[in-house]
Amino acid sequence: MRTARKTYILVLLIFCFQAGTISAQSTSSPYSVFGLGFLEGNSAGPFRAMGGTGIGFLSEKSVNYMNPASYSGIDSLISVFEVGLFGKYTTFSTSRESQSLFNSNLKYILMGFRVTPWLATSFGFSPYSSIGYNINTISTIEGTNTRYVKTFTGEGGVNQVYFGGSITPMKNLSLGFNAAYLFGNVTHTESSAVYSYYLEDITYISNFDFNYGLNYRVIVDKMRFSLGLIYGSSKKLRTENVTTIQTASTTETLKKRSYKYSIPQNMGAGIAFTKGFFSAGFDFERSNWEDVQFKNAFIHTRNSNRYSFGIEFPSQGVKKGTTGMIFYRLGGEFRESYITIDNTPINYRAVTLGAGIPLNNWISVVNVSLELGQNGTTSNGLFRESFVNLHLDLSFKDLWFMKKRYN
Amino acid sequence: MTGISAGTGKKLIFLFTKIYKYIPVAVAAVILIVTSCTKQSEFDIGKDFIESQTRLQMVDTFRVDLSTIIEDSLRTSGTKIALVGNLGDELFGKIKCETYFDLAFSVFGAIEEKAYFDSAAFVLPFTGYSIGDTLSALNLEIHQLTEKIKTGNDGYLYSINSFAYQPQPLSNVTIYPEPHSKIDTALNFRVDALGEDLFNKIRDNDQNVSSSEWFMDYIRGFVITPGNAGNKAVIGLNAAENKIALKIYYHLRLEEPEKKEITISMGEINHQFNHVEYDLSGTYLNNIKSSGNKKMASETANKSYMQGLTGLITKVQFPSLQDIFMESNWKILKAELIIEPAAFSYEKYALPEKLYIYQTDMVSRTSSILKDEKGNSISQLTDDDNNPLTAIFEYDKVLGENTRYTFDITSYINKELAGKYYEYRRGLHIGISQDDYRTTLNRILFEGKKPPVKLRLYYLSY
Repeated sequence: MRTARKTYILVLLIFCFQAGTISAQSTSSPYSVFGLGFLEGNSAGPFRAMGGTGIGFLSEKSVNYMNPASYSGIDSLISVFEVGLFGKYTTFSTSRESQSLFNSNLKYILMGFRVTPWLATSFGFSPYSSIGYNINTISTIEGTNTRYVKTFTGEGGVNQVYFGGSITPMKNLSLGFNAAYLFGNVTHTESSAVYSYYLEDITYISNFDFNYGLNYRVIVDKMRFSLGLIYGSSKKLRTENVTTIQTASTTETLKKRSYKYSIPQNMGAGIAFTKGFFSAGFDFERSNWEDVQFKNAFIHTRNSNRYSFGIEFPSQGVKKGTTGMIFYRLGGEFRESYITIDNTPINYRAVTLGAGIPLNNWISVVNVSLELGQNGTTSNGLFRESFVNLHLDLSFKDLWFMKKRYN
Repeated sequence: MTGISAGTGKKLIFLFTKIYKYIPVAVAAVILIVTSCTKQSEFDIGKDFIESQTRLQMVDTFRVDLSTIIEDSLRTSGTKIALVGNLGDELFGKIKCETYFDLAFSVFGAIEEKAYFDSAAFVLPFTGYSIGDTLSALNLEIHQLTEKIKTGNDGYLYSINSFAYQPQPLSNVTIYPEPHSKIDTALNFRVDALGEDLFNKIRDNDQNVSSSEWFMDYIRGFVITPGNAGNKAVIGLNAAENKIALKIYYHLRLEEPEKKEITISMGEINHQFNHVEYDLSGTYLNNIKSSGNKKMASETANKSYMQGLTGLITKVQFPSLQDIFMESNWKILKAELIIEPAAFSYEKYALPEKLYIYQTDMVSRTSSILKDEKGNSISQLTDDDNNPLTAIFEYDKVLGENTRYTFDITSYINKELAGKYYEYRRGLHIGISQDDYRTTLNRILFEGKKPPVKLRLYYLSY
C-alpha cells in the first residue's frame, strides 16, 4: 500500500522535474514579454470547464487547489491523482494582419488524499506563470540604411510545487493552507543571425508562498450553499540574474541586471450551490498588482479583478445516478489584466464548456473542456489573441491502497 | 482485493488491470505531449512594445592612415617565370627586368659523320603574362655571362643579385608583345656563332663539353636584357623545367639529307632568377628606403603604392582605434577595411583581382618573404577556415567610382582589441600574393584620402 503511494509521489516528482523544462513553452503570446508572463490560474479539470470557477467548491470531483480548504471534500476512501494537459490554438490579430499558432503541454499534476479523518492533504505541481514569445523585428543599423532582422524570444515562467492541507475544526467549516515553493526563470533573448550575436538575459526566480482558504457550508432542504474565501499575501521573489552575450568569437557574462519580481496580494470569494447532481458557482478574485512595478515605460500595473461563473449538470436518462453518469459543465470568465500597455488593458474573456466522462469505473474520469476566448484588443496599435483551448484532465482515482488503513 | 499484500508482482498485475482501460487516453496524452513543441512561427506581432537591450551601430569615423613601404629585395629564383622588359611612368618610376639562367650539361652523344651545322637558337616559350604598353615594340638582347651563376648561402637568388656579362649581345630580337607573346608560342634568339662553336666542340669531343665542370666554365650562363630602345612592357617567359632551351640544328649529308637537332635545356631551376632595377627619381617615392621608415600617404599626394617585384607594400594603420576603449559595453560584430584604387589609375595596368592582407609578426621570420620596416616578417591574415583572407573585389566598369576592395578583418580586430590595448603601430600590410610579388609587376595606386579608405565597424552596444 505504501509502495503504491510512493509510486505516485515518485511519478509526481519526475513530472515536476521534467515539467520544469517542459513548461517553458506552456504559453505562446507576445504579451508574455512583461513581468512574470501569462498568469496560468489555479483551476483543475472540472473547474476549468466552469469558467475557472472553484473558490466555493470542495475537492469532491477533483483536487481544487484554488482553495486549500476544499481538500476536506476529498472522499475519505479515495486518493486522487490528476494530470492536466492542454492544446491551444491561438490567432493573433492586429488591425491589419493576423498570425496563428498551436501549442500544447502538460498543465499540472495533482495528488490528493486524506491522511486522517480530520486532515486531508494535497501535493501538486503546476505553472504559476509562463513566458513564450518569438518576435522578429526589422531594425536598422544606426549610422546606415542597412536593415536586419532582430529576433526577440522569451521563455520560462514560474512553477509551483505545493503541499497543502485542510482540516475541519467544526461541522460545515473547513480551513486550509497551501505552502508552495515557486521557482523558475524569466528568460529574454535577442539575436541577429546575420551579425551573429545572441544576448540571453536569464533571471532565476524562487521563493516560498503561502495561501490560505476557508469553506463554510449551509445545508437547507438538501440544498447546499457554500462560501469560499482565499487569501495570499504579496511576496517579493528572490532573483538571480545571469546575462550573457555571445558573438562569433566570444562569450561574455555581463554585469548582473537587477530585476525585481513580486507576486501580489491576492484575495477571492466564491459561492457555490449544489443540489443533487446539479451545481453552480460564482467567483470573484482580486489581485493587488499596483504595488508591483515594471521597468518598462510602456506598461503599468493595476489591481485586477477576476469574475467567473459556472454550472454543472448530469446527463439525463437511464445513466443518471449511475456510475456511468456524465457531467456537463458550462461557464464564463472575465479577467482584467494586471498590466495596461499605453493605458490599454489586455483583458481576458472566455466561455467554457466541458464534460466529465467516467471510464468504466466511477473512480476514474476524463474531464474535457473547451475554452473559447479572447485576450487583448486590436485598438491602440495592440493585438488580440483569439484562442480555442482544449483541456484534458485525467483523474486517476483509487481507493484500493487506502483500504487497509480504514478497514 | 485479497491479493494486494501478497507481493509486488501481483500488485503490478493488479495495477495493470486498473490501468489498461486508460490506454486510449494515455495514447492521446502522449500525442499531445509529443506534439507539444510550440511552433516557432516567425512573428512580428508584439514588436511595438518590445524593449531592446542592444543597439547595433556602424561607425566609420576611425582614422585610417595609409603609407607605402618597400622591400629591399625579393627572392626571385626558382619561380619558373622569367621576366624581361622595361616599364616606366611618373608614378612607379622606371623599372628594368632582366632574367638570368644557365644551361644543363648532359653527356653529348657522338655526332654522326657527314654532319653539317645549320643554325642555333635559344627557344623561350611565353607564359602569356605581359604588362605595360604591350602594343609597342619590345627589343630584347641575350648576353653571355662572364661569370658563373652562384646562389647565396640560403640557396636562392634575389631581385638585387646580378652577374657580369659581355657587353656585346649574342643576339637581339624585337617583338610586339601583342599579339606575339601568346602562350604556346616562343621567343627565339638566333645564336649561330655560339651554336656552331658548341656543335664543333661536341663533334670533336672537346674537353669543354666533356664534363659538367668544364661545360659550365665554358658556357657560364646567359642573361636576357631589354635593349636600350624605349621599351614599354615586360613579358613573362616560361622557365619551368625543360621549357627554355638552346637548340642546335644540323643535317647529315646523305643521299636523302636528314635534319637533326641537339637540345640543351636550361640548367638548375634555382639558377634562373629575375633581376629588377628601379629608379624612383622624379616620383613621390623618390627617397623611400627599404630599411627606412614608411612613406606616409600625406607625403605622396595622398596615395599609397603597391607593386610586385619592386616590393612596394601598402601599409594601413588605425591610429585612433584605441579610442574605442573609452566606451564601455560593446562588441565588434564585423570589421571591414575598404580601400579603393585612385581614380583613373588603372586604365593601363589591370587591377589584380586578388588582394591579400598581412600582419607583422614579431616572432617568426621563416615563412614569409614580406617584411615590415624593422625587418620582421609578416604573416598572412586568414579567414575562419584558415585560408588566406582575400578582399572582395568590386569592379565598376562604367564609372570606376565603385571600384573597391573590401577586407573582412573582424577576427583580426577582435584579436587585437582583446587585450584592452591596441598597438596601432604594427598595422596591416596589403598586397598581392607572395607568389605574385615574386613573379609579377602587378600594381595598384591606392587612394589615401578618407573616404574612400575607411574602417567600417559594426558594433553592438548593450
